[in-house]
Amino acid sequence: MTKSVGHYNYEPKDKAFLQERIAEFEEQVERRLKGTLSEEEFKPLRLMNGLYLQVHAYMLRVAIPYGVLDSRQLRKLAHIARRYDRGYGHFTTRQNIQFNWISLEDAPAILRDLAEADMHAIQTSGNCIRNVTSDEYAGAAKDELMDPRVHAEILRQWSTLHPEFTFLPRKFKIAISGSPEDRVAARFHDIGILARPGENGPLFRIFVGGGLGRTPVVGQELFDGVPEEELLATLEATLRVYNAFGRRDNLYRSRIKILVQTIGVDAFREAVKAELEKMDISHYRLTKEKVAAIRARFAAPTLDAPDGGTATLAEQMQRDSVFARWVKSNIHAHFDERYCIATVSLKSPGEIPGDVTDRQMDGLADLADRYAFGEIRITHLQNVVFGHVRKDQLYDVWQGLMALGLGAANIGLAGDIVSCPGLDYCSLANARSLPLAQKLGSRFGDMELQAEIGAMSINISGCINACGHHHAGHIGILGVDKRGKEFYQILIGGQAGEEAAIGAILGPALTEDETVEAISRMIDHYLSHRDIGESFLQTLHRLGKAPFKEVAYGSV
Amino acid sequence: MKRLSRPGPGETLLLTATRLLDGRIVWRDAAGIWQEHVGKAAQMTLEEAEPALEKAQETAVSQGVMGVYVVLAHEGHPPQPVTMKEHIRAFGPSVHPEFAYSSTSLSQSEASS
Repeated sequence: MTKSVGHYNYEPKDKAFLQERIAEFEEQVERRLKGTLSEEEFKPLRLMNGLYLQVHAYMLRVAIPYGVLDSRQLRKLAHIARRYDRGYGHFTTRQNIQFNWISLEDAPAILRDLAEADMHAIQTSGNCIRNVTSDEYAGAAKDELMDPRVHAEILRQWSTLHPEFTFLPRKFKIAISGSPEDRVAARFHDIGILARPGENGPLFRIFVGGGLGRTPVVGQELFDGVPEEELLATLEATLRVYNAFGRRDNLYRSRIKILVQTIGVDAFREAVKAELEKMDISHYRLTKEKVAAIRARFAAPTLDAPDGGTATLAEQMQRDSVFARWVKSNIHAHFDERYCIATVSLKSPGEIPGDVTDRQMDGLADLADRYAFGEIRITHLQNVVFGHVRKDQLYDVWQGLMALGLGAANIGLAGDIVSCPGLDYCSLANARSLPLAQKLGSRFGDMELQAEIGAMSINISGCINACGHHHAGHIGILGVDKRGKEFYQILIGGQAGEEAAIGAILGPALTEDETVEAISRMIDHYLSHRDIGESFLQTLHRLGKAPFKEVAYGSV
Repeated sequence: MKRLSRPGPGETLLLTATRLLDGRIVWRDAAGIWQEHVGKAAQMTLEEAEPALEKAQETAVSQGVMGVYVVLAHEGHPPQPVTMKEHIRAFGPSVHPEFAYSSTSLSQSEASS
């Protein structure tokens, strides 16, 4: 069988493991349906297999390791959406996909279908190490220092069913990037890793104790320059310290960020070093041979394109201004001048962020096969990326996307809204987030207006758990419940990346329509008060929060 | 167990649960059968709801439901749950009108058989 590009290709033992695991879960489901397992007994078992009970049905969260799929896998997801769901899937902010209308009795069959395409839902829930996320431009970006996906896969294998870390005090999220541009929000993770090449192999800068949720915290540097062979030992020691000292008596104080804040990062670092000294390091040594063995299970694309693609693309952009606008916002530089990276927006005006239909999934898989080596990446900002597209074929790709209703030119702009499923689907939510995302998406839907506004991130969460990363948005919105009615708190000034910052609350919560109007006025204020070339954040930093608060609440 | 609050004027109490098989929201009718549509739910006073809740919890496993509790609603046909959360549970997600729980497709719950 031909190896898939961009991700680890399963060995027979990986496939056998999935079958064993499904058989185990199938038996558990049977016992639940017969009534020999209570919901209390069954809940931790189903969660270990990614099966939640949400507002209207069971929800299955499927892992997409480091966000990379092949076309065969995306078609399988389309099949699941069609056969077992209602023709939709929802890409999440952890590069996973969720199906919202699942029956319990179908769950084992779905897992079998997933396993046919080397996919599963293990560790997409529970107090364990969750899906490891990575840079959506990995292995393609011109600005990248090293491809982090091989190490992301190593972390996936290390953390899968890790006997010590299956029942941590709380869930644990790791992200890894190999670019100086932190595209994974490393400082907002329990552990964030920035990889770079060194003289004798890769080196890793490790941040610890970041996170959003109830207590948003920017992660702090734990170590810099960790050599490759010590990576796993360092992470093992870090998790051991958390596992030993993280709080288990208070759900809201149980994440690693609370431990790091409580004892201080220096004391935490010393505890990790002390743990390392006690460990048999040789057991965790990540040798070059081990890395090479994992790397060998990845296939790389054979880049081969005619010269002149850049000129062809320029000509097509000149001929078609709508295409030119899309290229400007949705294309990122590839390390090979003949190629580019294309981001497909799942945020067409008025649509639900991250939602894709079965037809769109099949269409994306077809486009990937034809133009992008069959490789598809899912971003933590709920979009899709084709990593390697020939410049001379980009116009054809865009036309294909337009036919699928996926041609929005808004990556990194006001319409590129990140949103959790909110109260419409999530049993934890306090307020709906999707209708607000749709209204804001429509309000700023005009592509020329979005281009005029420039760089802007709007993030919406339906509750304090912050799955929509509202603290990290230039404009963040948090849904709150007041006596059964929905209200929305606006935050301003958040951002991920190297200059990570937590948004500040602007003022009292507003109704949904008031929120849309308040944000419109804030953006109008920015447009009328910005200096030449100034971004929204730069204007905010220059003027301060007060004038934005004034316009936001001026007419309420 | 949390004490139930007395409904105000024009308000009523409904019994709801989640169906084990598919996670579907169901509502208990006057005959004690779990129905998919909120329009078939028994609209109760506090004095009626308390024993009905107790009985529904006792029979939940045999009727294939879980998580039985009481919802406050405005009286009507169908009754309108007071909170947005319960409104969405009763009528379906607001963002996918095609998935709304239609009153034209009233059917008896599989759980009641």
